[in-house]
Amino acid sequence: MSNIEKYKQAFVESFSLSSDVNVQELAYQSIAEWDSVGHMGLIANLEEVFDIMMDMEDIIDFGSYEIGIDILKKYQVDL
Amino acid sequence: MEKFSLDCTELQEYQPNRYPFLMIDHVEEVVPGKYAFGHKNLTFNEWYFPEHFPEGHNMPGALQLEALAQMLTVAITTQEGLKGKVTHALQHLVRFKREILPGERLDIHAEVLSWKRGICKGKGTASVNGEVACEAEMMITIPEILEQYLPPGKDKK
Repeated sequence: MSNIEKYKQAFVESFSLSSDVNVQELAYQSIAEWDSVGHMGLIANLEEVFDIMMDMEDIIDFGSYEIGIDILKKYQVDL
Repeated sequence: MEKFSLDCTELQEYQPNRYPFLMIDHVEEVVPGKYAFGHKNLTFNEWYFPEHFPEGHNMPGALQLEALAQMLTVAITTQEGLKGKVTHALQHLVRFKREILPGERLDIHAEVLSWKRGICKGKGTASVNGEVACEAEMMITIPEILEQYLPPGKDKK
């Protein structure tokens, strides 16, 4: 599985999404599942999948699927 | 690892609930960030017994769960810098197995499974005379910490 597939899968698993949801359009609080608890679950999932530990400011800035791609580059995760 | 006990006065430094919602009397042993266990003595003077139920007094299930969550809170708030912090429930899954009656002692065990960025996942078991009365998987948070990690949005103060 490629990194981008792992990245998308993290959203699907963290928010228990159905296959018809376009994850690329997701942003914090754009769906009920991406709430405060969902956010922490997503971050924990991504840290495990890519074996990284994100800084506090990056967790705060991680406000959407697209922004997350740029943030993960800082951790040498190219998507 | 540091372990200690807390009497009914001391535990209130780590557990913000007060009468009539303080559901633990004594913490026999706590290892901060790991586990806590103790008990609640239930006399017929408990405020809920006369009405729950008039013909069959027993401890409400919601308060059994509250007792477990409060013990889990002690396991978290005894960590450095967290004394007296308020916790909120996020998600609980509980199973009840036995009624708890006036005159019985409820033994309460709570274990921290994970603690990260203001969210605690844990599990707990409450028993009477070694017989399990209820058990729960719990998720609680210290909102003051959790909110520090959230993107700007409607729930960030």
